[in-house]
Amino acid sequence: MLRDARLYQIGFLSIFLGFGVWGRDWSLQPQGMIMAIAACLLTQVLLVLLLPPPAHSPIPRWRYALKSWPSAAITSLSLCLLLRTNHPLTMVLAGGAAIASKFWLKSPNHKHFFNPANFGIMTALMFTRDAWVSPGQWGTEWWAIMLFACLGGTIAGRVGRWDTSAPFLGTFALLEMGRNAWLGWSWDVAVHHLASGSLLLFAFFMLTDPRSIPNARPARIIWAVSIALLTFGLRYAFFVPAAMFWALFILSPTTLWLDLLWPEQRFQWGTADASTKSPRTWLALPQTRL
Amino acid sequence: MTLLKRLLTATLAIAITLSFGSAARAFCGFYVGKADADLFNEASQVILARDGDRTVITMANDYQGDLDEFAMVVPVPTVLEEGQINVGDSTIIDRLDAFTAPRLVEYFDPDPCAPRWDYRDRALLESAEAPVPQAARPSADSDLGVTVEAEYSIGEYDIQILSATESDGLETWLTQSGYRIPEHASPLLQPYIRQGMNFFVAKVNLEAFERSGAEFLNPLQIAYESSKFMLPIRLGMTNANGDQDLIVYALSPRGQVELTNYRTLQIPSNETIPVFVEPEFDKFYTSLFETAHTKDEAVAFQEYAWDIRSCDPCSTTPPSAEELRKAGVFWVAPNESPDAFVTRLHIRYNRSTFPEDLIFQETSNRQNFQGRYILQHPFEGATSCPAGRDYTAGLPERFEAEAQTLARLTGWDINEIRAQLPDVSAVEPANWWERLW
Repeated sequence: MLRDARLYQIGFLSIFLGFGVWGRDWSLQPQGMIMAIAACLLTQVLLVLLLPPPAHSPIPRWRYALKSWPSAAITSLSLCLLLRTNHPLTMVLAGGAAIASKFWLKSPNHKHFFNPANFGIMTALMFTRDAWVSPGQWGTEWWAIMLFACLGGTIAGRVGRWDTSAPFLGTFALLEMGRNAWLGWSWDVAVHHLASGSLLLFAFFMLTDPRSIPNARPARIIWAVSIALLTFGLRYAFFVPAAMFWALFILSPTTLWLDLLWPEQRFQWGTADASTKSPRTWLALPQTRL
Repeated sequence: MTLLKRLLTATLAIAITLSFGSAARAFCGFYVGKADADLFNEASQVILARDGDRTVITMANDYQGDLDEFAMVVPVPTVLEEGQINVGDSTIIDRLDAFTAPRLVEYFDPDPCAPRWDYRDRALLESAEAPVPQAARPSADSDLGVTVEAEYSIGEYDIQILSATESDGLETWLTQSGYRIPEHASPLLQPYIRQGMNFFVAKVNLEAFERSGAEFLNPLQIAYESSKFMLPIRLGMTNANGDQDLIVYALSPRGQVELTNYRTLQIPSNETIPVFVEPEFDKFYTSLFETAHTKDEAVAFQEYAWDIRSCDPCSTTPPSAEELRKAGVFWVAPNESPDAFVTRLHIRYNRSTFPEDLIFQETSNRQNFQGRYILQHPFEGATSCPAGRDYTAGLPERFEAEAQTLARLTGWDINEIRAQLPDVSAVEPANWWERLW
């Protein structure tokens, strides 16, 4: 069994990308994908080598650069899956911005608080005129299989943290069903909304990056519920097609504040997940932790 | 035709005459035919012109029953002023249909014995370019919760903009006002009322229609500003069991338009098919669409996506700025080169595959796409030279590949296809030394 959960994530994302290209007939440009992967990996290696290392870093820079490639690979695969553009340079911008955000947008204790892929996507959407996201690209026929795969991976602890995916999906599903009941649509409309492959990918792969989300479980639950509320609001009050990406982007900085309220040890890749081993955090109130 | 369909959807499209005659010459072969919208029975046609939050919808009208029974009810996001409603010109829908229809192109094999020359140099010369110089009084029925926000007589139509608080009240109001709406429409009206949408209700003013001397109803156009970029299709499915076809011509200054709540998929294209298909191209495309739809049901098929100023090959000349303004393209000034990208989406929907309304988004994708099918005519002259013998020897394999392609695209029986292939007598390929001296 591989110790580093990122390798499983890379496997899952690669399978989904292959399925999208061959099973869903996405017309992706190979050069765009290559540029995204190259930009992420190169930016990661260059910034590790060029920027001053964190104080008391136990390993040499070159080893850290080598060790960190899976994170950059996950970011680049996420960009290939979610971001659309016809210009490879836009992918370079997105990949470069995604990785750079980890190094320059950090809390005082050196934690980056933007999901790198989400930051890259938003950079491309806001600063270029040739990027878009396609929320309808997965269709709704394969959602059960995708849900099964994602759930299985999460339960096995290899994809992400259930305590962000589950509150997000649960809150979003409740809101969708409530809206559906209020409007008087038949139930298949709500099912159609919730069966979106894009929603599942977002919930299981983007919302669960343990390095950038809040460290403590209560904070993560509040954070995920807030993202679900904002996504719902942006989608139905402002009709924003990429609502979930905007919601995550807007609420990512609150991670800093939530980490202050619920202090907890930060996750490290390749080691046992500290917080899941910690029984105290589940019932811990903010006051008792400060 | 269901009563519902008459009443509720803006069901669309004027009868169009197939025109296979006007062969325009272009780089990618000779344009020989197109599969336009009237191949598909009762296909509704809508033009969506969208820039930012501004939308102009043109709803074609193919209603052919008694005009005094015609009415349509369309949910709209805002109360429309008189100036926001227009009776359009039906010819523009025919123009866009003809311009964007899937097309058949043909090539002719050169004489394999003649010296070779390169066709590529002709590329840019023959791509076509567009010819550059070339937009009450509220009364309320408080018992029913229905408010007539505005009433207009525009062209041959009498139009009312309604707002409602109760779907039952709206259903009763429509029935009492002489609209023959289907039973149990109320549950489908409710979601639109709850979303704060208004209802655009139109019926034909018979006197005005007779005065105009027109044979067909003209399309209705509405212009509004809303971040909602959607087409309501649910109302049209109340009683309908079968599939309905909708063709959307989406025009945007940015690029392709796609659905956000369903997949958008390109129709199979750029396939070489046997030359005998030429006279039955309509049948071919209908079968192709059915085969593609059987494989992916809940999908909007992209049939065309191109900058409107050019085409290659052109089925007809690109629409001018004036014509596009008739299609609602408000951001183009008269006499200027029209900066617009057109996407033709063909959606075959029914109640189970498309449970909710269509939601669109503009994207920055300016990649060109067209449904294009190729006929490659074999050389028919004498081929006695070694290269000619190689060419003739290779023909059966090529014809078989074309037959397989046709069978895969249309689901037609491969043996019936093979029976229609040209008869090529078996020829041995030339020996290698024959090509030396």
